[in-house]
Amino acid sequence: MCSFPELKDRKFLVADTGSAVGQELVEQLTGLGAYVVVIGDPNGSPLQSISAFKESKCYISFDIYDNSETESNFHLINEKFGLFNGFVYCAGIGGVRPLSMTKYSFMHEMMNANVYSFVEMARCLAKRNCFSDGGSMVAISSVSSIKGLKSKIAYSASKSALDATVRCIAAELSPRRIRVNSIMKGAVSSDLNKDYIQSNIKLGEEDDLKRQLLGIIEPSEIADCIVFLLSDSSKKITGTSILLDGGYVL
Amino acid sequence: MTDKNDFTGKQVLISGAAAGIGRETAVMLSKLGCRLILIDIDKDGLADTVSNLFGTGHSFNIIDLGNLESIEPAFKGIVDKHGPFDGFVHCAGIRCRRPIAMITPSILSEVLKVNFGSFIELTRCIIRRNNFNEGLSIVGVSSISSQRGGVSVTAYAASKAAMDCAVRCLAKELGSKSIRLNTVVPAQIETRAYVDFLKMTGGAEDITLTRQYLGLGEPLDVANLIVFLLSDKSKFITGSSIPVDGGFLSS
Repeated sequence: MCSFPELKDRKFLVADTGSAVGQELVEQLTGLGAYVVVIGDPNGSPLQSISAFKESKCYISFDIYDNSETESNFHLINEKFGLFNGFVYCAGIGGVRPLSMTKYSFMHEMMNANVYSFVEMARCLAKRNCFSDGGSMVAISSVSSIKGLKSKIAYSASKSALDATVRCIAAELSPRRIRVNSIMKGAVSSDLNKDYIQSNIKLGEEDDLKRQLLGIIEPSEIADCIVFLLSDSSKKITGTSILLDGGYVL
Repeated sequence: MTDKNDFTGKQVLISGAAAGIGRETAVMLSKLGCRLILIDIDKDGLADTVSNLFGTGHSFNIIDLGNLESIEPAFKGIVDKHGPFDGFVHCAGIRCRRPIAMITPSILSEVLKVNFGSFIELTRCIIRRNNFNEGLSIVGVSSISSQRGGVSVTAYAASKAAMDCAVRCLAKELGSKSIRLNTVVPAQIETRAYVDFLKMTGGAEDITLTRQYLGLGEPLDVANLIVFLLSDKSKFITGSSIPVDGGFLSS
């Protein structure tokens, strides 16, 4: 495991709606000489207006949670950019609601953004001319996947489901040596001001943060782990959900 | 951005460095500028590892980790001479394949002593004040058998499960000192021990591999994960047991 020279000139697709982790990841990957296409960026350009790479990174805006459009969008992306070596799903939504308010529509919205969109993208990408054999897919999950917390029914269920899809897709794509893993992250500094974390704190769970023994995670730490999973250094790691939680679940 | 993969000026202790995963990890770390203190009971193997290392200043010690009482004085000698550590990798261990009828108390205690007892004893020595630098990372080499049932591996599996459990407890206990502990969980890896195992089974097909989708691993694959866990790239990962198993545990 040196400084991942093999990532130079490789192409990565990142689904991200402007998160700090996504931004840090793009910086690290382009810093290593890779090319990155970010989809779902609110400040990106419309897909139709893009023609291949002008520089090492390219931001495209379209609604990545509208799964009826994903296949045609990915078709266009494939025409413009060709084969990808890696895919990172940094997108997804959070949300805190007690059981009494966890209606079907809320559940569905959460599952759609955190699971269905990932599976639909993986499905479209897994076609042979879209994704390179030996490539790597990484999804951002959460410690909520394996923990019980008040008012996190929908979120936890969606992250558990995401990790389950990772295991199954890993098994299915293994003949092509495509690896699929997720990172179960704890509390990240860039998320702390988000509404759903704040309302969690109001629900009396501020002590929850203290359970993260090593403090609050920086977005760069998550990006470090993603890059490791994208690199050849992890070429025998698949179907795994790695805890990156500063000791939270202990 | 500082290079989190640069181990220049860092010192790492590796037990069981005479072969396989321990040797591969030592070689990789030495390429990254790390100074290594290697321990094993196999003198020739250890000398062979040292001859493969890059850089200078490495040293090795012959220690019988089965003799737990001898570890503390030996460690004291090492730390007096070489100074504090930034990392510790516990690769030492003995394989044991015996049906329950043959797991006598002495066999069980021997396996637990070498594989697990020495891990605790070395960790106990290294986490004393002045024996480690800030950001100490400890990595144990566990096994998929710690998490799944295997025929005739009761003693071995128990020793590895004990280590997984210990890193969870110690990660919590030592978190306030910013000491991290994790284990790596390899499936079948092409090491000397694995080749011996195949010989023992008379060339029968290893059924584990049917669920290890990505095929037999190499020591290098495990070393990559160990080095990641030793580095500052994994600063928030502690108390974890991370598989490097080609999909086995998820299948």
